[in-house]
Amino acid sequence: MQREVGTLPLAPALRARLAAAGFQTAQELLDTGPCGLSKEIGISREEALEALQVVRQECHGDAARTAGASGATRRCTALELLEEEQTQGFIITFCSALDNILGGGVQLTKITEICGAPGVGKTQLCMQLAVDVQIPECFGGVAGEAVFIDTEGSFMVDRVVDIAAACVQHCHLIAEAQQEEDHRKALETFSLENILSHIYYFRCRDYIELLAQVYLLPEFLSEHSKVRLVVIDGIAFPFRHDFEDLSLRTRLLNGLAQQLIIIANDHKSAVVLTNQMTTRIGQSQSTLVPALGESWGHAATVRLIFHWDNSQRLATLYKSPSQKESTIAYHITSHGFRDVQPPAVTHSAEGTEVNPRKRPRTEEEKQ
Amino acid sequence: MAAKKLRRAQLSQEMCERLSRYQITTCQDFLCLSLLELMKVTGQSYYEVQKLLCKVSRACAPKMQTAYEMKLRKSVNPSSAFLSTTLHSLDRVLHGGVPCGSLTEITSPPGCGKTQFCIMVSVLATLPVSMGGLDGAVMYIDTESAFSAERLIEIAANRFPTYFDSDEKLFCMTRSIHLYRELTCCSVLKRIMSLEEEIISKKVKLIIIDSVASVVRKEFDTKIQGNLAERSNFLTRGASVLKYLAEEFSIPVILTNQITTSLSSGPAIQADLVSPADDLSLSE
Repeated sequence: MQREVGTLPLAPALRARLAAAGFQTAQELLDTGPCGLSKEIGISREEALEALQVVRQECHGDAARTAGASGATRRCTALELLEEEQTQGFIITFCSALDNILGGGVQLTKITEICGAPGVGKTQLCMQLAVDVQIPECFGGVAGEAVFIDTEGSFMVDRVVDIAAACVQHCHLIAEAQQEEDHRKALETFSLENILSHIYYFRCRDYIELLAQVYLLPEFLSEHSKVRLVVIDGIAFPFRHDFEDLSLRTRLLNGLAQQLIIIANDHKSAVVLTNQMTTRIGQSQSTLVPALGESWGHAATVRLIFHWDNSQRLATLYKSPSQKESTIAYHITSHGFRDVQPPAVTHSAEGTEVNPRKRPRTEEEKQ
Repeated sequence: MAAKKLRRAQLSQEMCERLSRYQITTCQDFLCLSLLELMKVTGQSYYEVQKLLCKVSRACAPKMQTAYEMKLRKSVNPSSAFLSTTLHSLDRVLHGGVPCGSLTEITSPPGCGKTQFCIMVSVLATLPVSMGGLDGAVMYIDTESAFSAERLIEIAANRFPTYFDSDEKLFCMTRSIHLYRELTCCSVLKRIMSLEEEIISKKVKLIIIDSVASVVRKEFDTKIQGNLAERSNFLTRGASVLKYLAEEFSIPVILTNQITTSLSSGPAIQADLVSPADDLSLSE
């Protein structure tokens, strides 16, 4: 209530008039009332009423904040956060080695960035995640929907069909082995058509369309409240050309990062971004580093770097607040993103399904 | 989309006039400003400005489609999804042929047959759909002056002798292959930008650029500082226009590239010359 007039989100011209008239705190404004206000600073009664409503909304929000209720800023103890994190699901990647180094899979409410050279498998992982987020809860998934924002045009529907078919097949095998009622019921809705209908695809051709789409995302997500994954495939591509003013680029990227963090937290969804690699010319040698510069590195909570080692694809967990840095190998098979060897502990369902995972890399390479 | 004028974005007349006084006339100018700047420029409160932002964003944002709708659209017209190369093993590996709606890159050391492949695919594109072609014209952008019309006729006559049985048919085919000789990066980019109208007027069904690497290597010496950034700027700009054309008209685009040496000492250094990932990391 003692909030200064200058900090209220009113129109600048109105703020200037209030300051000139001598108003200092929000309480003074509320005490004056709309008619008094309109007479003192020379605006219409309707405008004065609107301004007072804004002031009241702000002060109410402030009061709620200081009382500890949910508002623009959250306040809770670490114990509450721990309980929340433990009940939160992960989006599995079907590559158990990758899931292990991530601590269970791609985390909700966090931004995960995947960097890599062209052709190493970033879009493949994104498509795999767009399918995996829809796995029903009884099979260990989060039963959500996915938003796929494509800036490079590398989204191939046929590939998503293959990945989804393999995922449905996998779940069918688990259901057959375990013979539980809720598995069968979940499988009725977990079909190819349903999976594809719940991937919402946006094709952004330049950075303006991308900015516009991210501004509209909160509204979209409140209409589609089951979305648990937002993928932006190619955050670097639209920002790497036509930018003479680099400070503008940094500002836009920072704004984008902030909006994505808000979206991830408010809607309890995971945000996955893919980035390109660029060459940094050093003194004696050049190295490949993620594109978009140093300050962009702070935007993502978790950073994965995909790279090649001869003909083996490797994934390195480069930045994570809770897991240690490590490197694992993965494969891209016709069924999607998979491990190099089958995991050591297998439950009975995987006995029949183990063939796709065991297919050696050389067969694929010969094709 | 970015250059869309604000008055077409459903903003009120007086708002547009007020913004034009600050030189903000397009959606791009509007969306590049921060919220505080927008408040100052529009003279509105925070919540009003957010509503304006949503309005302008709605004018620029792409349309939503589900993956299911995309699949249905593809399955309605399966034959138009690929251009078969008539090489059965290659078609099998590519799951049908050169895909329509995306860019395909062909790369090899010199003398392996890239230009020959491009010439053959040009002939294939002019064939009627019943024979596996696209029944359309071809835009051939040649930067190395390697295209030979005689070779084109030789390939057509020997590969499809029953179809090209008369001179009339051969000339009809050659008339629908439009050749452009461009020798600098600037002219290549200008040509790519002008393609949209030509595609509609000439009913083009295939774009070939042979080759991207030769102009780029001629003009951009990567040892000179600043050239790497310029080069990647040129390449990404060309790439995004080509992607747009490929997707908008659902046609295949074929690019050829050259081979260079990858120096692998220490951490992975891929000196692939025409990779758009090469970019000088600019300090901030």
